[in-house]
Amino acid sequence: MKRTLFIIKITFTLLVLALAILPVILSSHPWPEASRDYLYEHALTDTGAVNTVSSIYLGYRAMDTLGETLVLLVSITGTMGILINLGRESEEEEAVSFSLAPEKRPTNAQRTHLLEVVSSKLGPVVLLFGFYVMLYGHISPGGGFQGGVIVASAIVFLALGTETQTKLTNTNVLGRIEALSFLVLIIAATSGVFFESGFFGNPIKSGSSLSANFIILLNIIIGLKVGTSIAVMCIAMMGGRRGH
Amino acid sequence: MVIERILIFLLALIGFTAIVGAKNIIKKVFGLNILNAAVVLLYILEGSRIGDQAPILGEGITNMVDPVPQALMLTAIVIGVCVTALALALAVRLYKATGSLEIDTISERLRSEH
Repeated sequence: MKRTLFIIKITFTLLVLALAILPVILSSHPWPEASRDYLYEHALTDTGAVNTVSSIYLGYRAMDTLGETLVLLVSITGTMGILINLGRESEEEEAVSFSLAPEKRPTNAQRTHLLEVVSSKLGPVVLLFGFYVMLYGHISPGGGFQGGVIVASAIVFLALGTETQTKLTNTNVLGRIEALSFLVLIIAATSGVFFESGFFGNPIKSGSSLSANFIILLNIIIGLKVGTSIAVMCIAMMGGRRGH
Repeated sequence: MVIERILIFLLALIGFTAIVGAKNIIKKVFGLNILNAAVVLLYILEGSRIGDQAPILGEGITNMVDPVPQALMLTAIVIGVCVTALALALAVRLYKATGSLEIDTISERLRSEH
């Protein structure tokens, strides 16, 4: 009886939601072409990036990217603050968890032999691909955020696969890289003020062949920041916080 | 053109059902992710209505899609990852505190404690 009532409630809620969002999803209002045409004409000369998505989020709307990295920073701070005292309370619970062979550090707890072999071989390749996506974000599909996420998955692969803990999977080192890249991002953002192009403006004069270098710099910084933050969060969730 | 929209609509409904109806916290987080994916797909679909080429300038690019929704959805994806991470961290904490991920069991145990 209680379950039937629950299902009726869910169905009613879904019907109301469907009535609300169906007109939005099915609308055939013509999409405006003004922004597309403007970007097609001016994006290359304004910012120097061939990839127009990069020229939007690192050129025209770079302030939005700063806010986005701040959200990421707040999120990782919250996650680490919530997770930081876990695992210290009960030692016997760790012994019965996934552990195949309890190694010295708790990161090793969820490993199997298959996972170990595959991820340790795959890690460096994925890391290289992540840096490729990060560095070529201005002329090909990709960019700082995408490359950063690939770098983060490579670090997680390495953390799951390597026998001993390296610098690359140490949360202290990763956290320092994150803080440093955020500092460099702020410095790069304010550097435009001294060259008469405003906050987050391109300090190199637009129209010259070097003006894409600012986009490349921002892509590298944002990629490092996103990659290290997500890697730190994943390693903390695997329980590797204490292992250093 | 309509079939994609109906699929996106179904995806949004699936995500919302998981958020409202599922009893497990992890499944609720999955539902949040599915709803996020539906919104991202809807924006990309809207932006691709006025063109059919990737928004990367170069030789032969004359009819590219609108890059503005793609740049917006980049933000939405990153924020979605942040929200997922925080929600999962809270779920881990709740599991350590009460020993369960089902919301009925959690509220029962919390009530019996006080």
